[in-house]
Amino acid sequence: MEAADQAEQFIPAGLASLQIEADEIELAVINAAHQMFWPAIRALLSLDLGDLEPERDPDLSRPPVQP
Amino acid sequence: VNALDLSMRAQVAAIAAGDVDAAELLDATLARIEERNPAINAVVATFPEESRAMLAEAPAGPLHGVPVVIKDEWPLPWRAQRFGAAQLLAPTAPGESGPYRALRDAGAVIVGVGNMHELGSGSTGNVSVYGAARNPWDTERCPGGSSSGPAAATAARLVAGAVGADGLGSVRFPAAYCGLTGLKPTFGRSAMAGHHMAAVTTLIVSGPLCADAADCRLLGSALFGEDLSAGNAAGLRIGVVRDTVSEDVAPEVAEACEAAIEALRAETGGEVVEVELAGLDAATLAAILTINTESLVGVTPERLNDLDPEVSPINRGFAKYRMLLPAAATVQAGRVRTLMRRRLAALFEEVDVIAWPTIPAVAPPLEAPMVELPSGTQTADQANVRGAALANLTGIPAISVPVGLGSEGLPIALQMQGAWGSDALLLDAAEALERANDRRWVDARPPLAQAEPTGV
Repeated sequence: MEAADQAEQFIPAGLASLQIEADEIELAVINAAHQMFWPAIRALLSLDLGDLEPERDPDLSRPPVQP
Repeated sequence: VNALDLSMRAQVAAIAAGDVDAAELLDATLARIEERNPAINAVVATFPEESRAMLAEAPAGPLHGVPVVIKDEWPLPWRAQRFGAAQLLAPTAPGESGPYRALRDAGAVIVGVGNMHELGSGSTGNVSVYGAARNPWDTERCPGGSSSGPAAATAARLVAGAVGADGLGSVRFPAAYCGLTGLKPTFGRSAMAGHHMAAVTTLIVSGPLCADAADCRLLGSALFGEDLSAGNAAGLRIGVVRDTVSEDVAPEVAEACEAAIEALRAETGGEVVEVELAGLDAATLAAILTINTESLVGVTPERLNDLDPEVSPINRGFAKYRMLLPAAATVQAGRVRTLMRRRLAALFEEVDVIAWPTIPAVAPPLEAPMVELPSGTQTADQANVRGAALANLTGIPAISVPVGLGSEGLPIALQMQGAWGSDALLLDAAEALERANDRRWVDARPPLAQAEPTGV
């Protein structure tokens, strides 16, 4: 199976594997959300942030503790 | 002047001086809600008996006797929050929430619950189990969300101020659409207890929506549990970012905001500095992923399959889509959060505030909340979140201030963001901007608020 075809199966396969039911309208919403977010999510995952590690338990009321 | 039309601080002063009877003000507020609310659907519950009991027991605090609306996002001792939805995926029950206690201890009277965008998931306010709230400036337009009811209620002068919540701009958008001042506090500084996500959220804060900055300072101080003292914005260093947030906006919005920034500079004797802030798109997505992940607490496939059919299809679908978001993306979002916090920390060494439009276009129609931008037609949600998410992701405070009316007579707003803990400075800057504009925009009233007044 081509990668593109497999990607098309992401939503139905993902929902089915979690045993989440979705009617036709919900599926349309999910597919629209996926089309909107997935390219950006892929770009985010590909973002090269070097060796930057997230702050451990950051205090968001204050500036970051510098490494 | 009718006491209902006074500023919040003037109501406090009038009650303290004995010029206005707090019980009469409460009754007049309830009467005005009855009179004006049908046109805007801002207030979804009133409870005169409980409000009168609050007043009877109200301490001589800084908000003594002042009627306030609170968003449908926190429980009250006599009512659980519904979060604008037919069903929440988190358990709720009546109780003493943090904002309730803060208002009660300040002597305020909770007079009603404000409508909100269903599940807090939209910037427009046109979807709610209670029906859409409407914008007092044009009742066919969106009031903004998700704190739609608090904003519409304040703009229509049902009350002088209201408490909203901001997880991705939900105080700032409705403040902007309704011509109000709205403060998104530094994360963790304002009362949040009792919110069904209080234990997990790293984004959501309570915040005041009022006509102007001085009233936001008053109501905000109650929510903070500390005095947001007035200071001085003299010599304000205003950072301007040349990016989508400031450039992909309707021309009338760009023009009004640029004029406001220049007026603020002149008023404060400060300077405008062009600054770089890379990574805004990634920050927006990181904030969206974070709030969507945090909202999964307690969610199971079984609960999703049992969702009330009265929950809107868009939120039913989105709740299920959240389950498919990759964990790796959330981890990456955490790294982006750190990156942006470090960038902002460095940037706030150079400037005191960064300023760009709160919303890229004026309030869109309720029936089709789309906006026309230089880049093309977009949903208002997509366009709005770009300018708001950074503050939630990083924890910094932000304020939306009205700075004009567009060609359709709808409000335009400027957002200012400051370093962690600079909430009072943002209020100082907002007040300076009000002075620079001769209070023209904070004193502007929508047609609905100029209707025949009910008396006190």
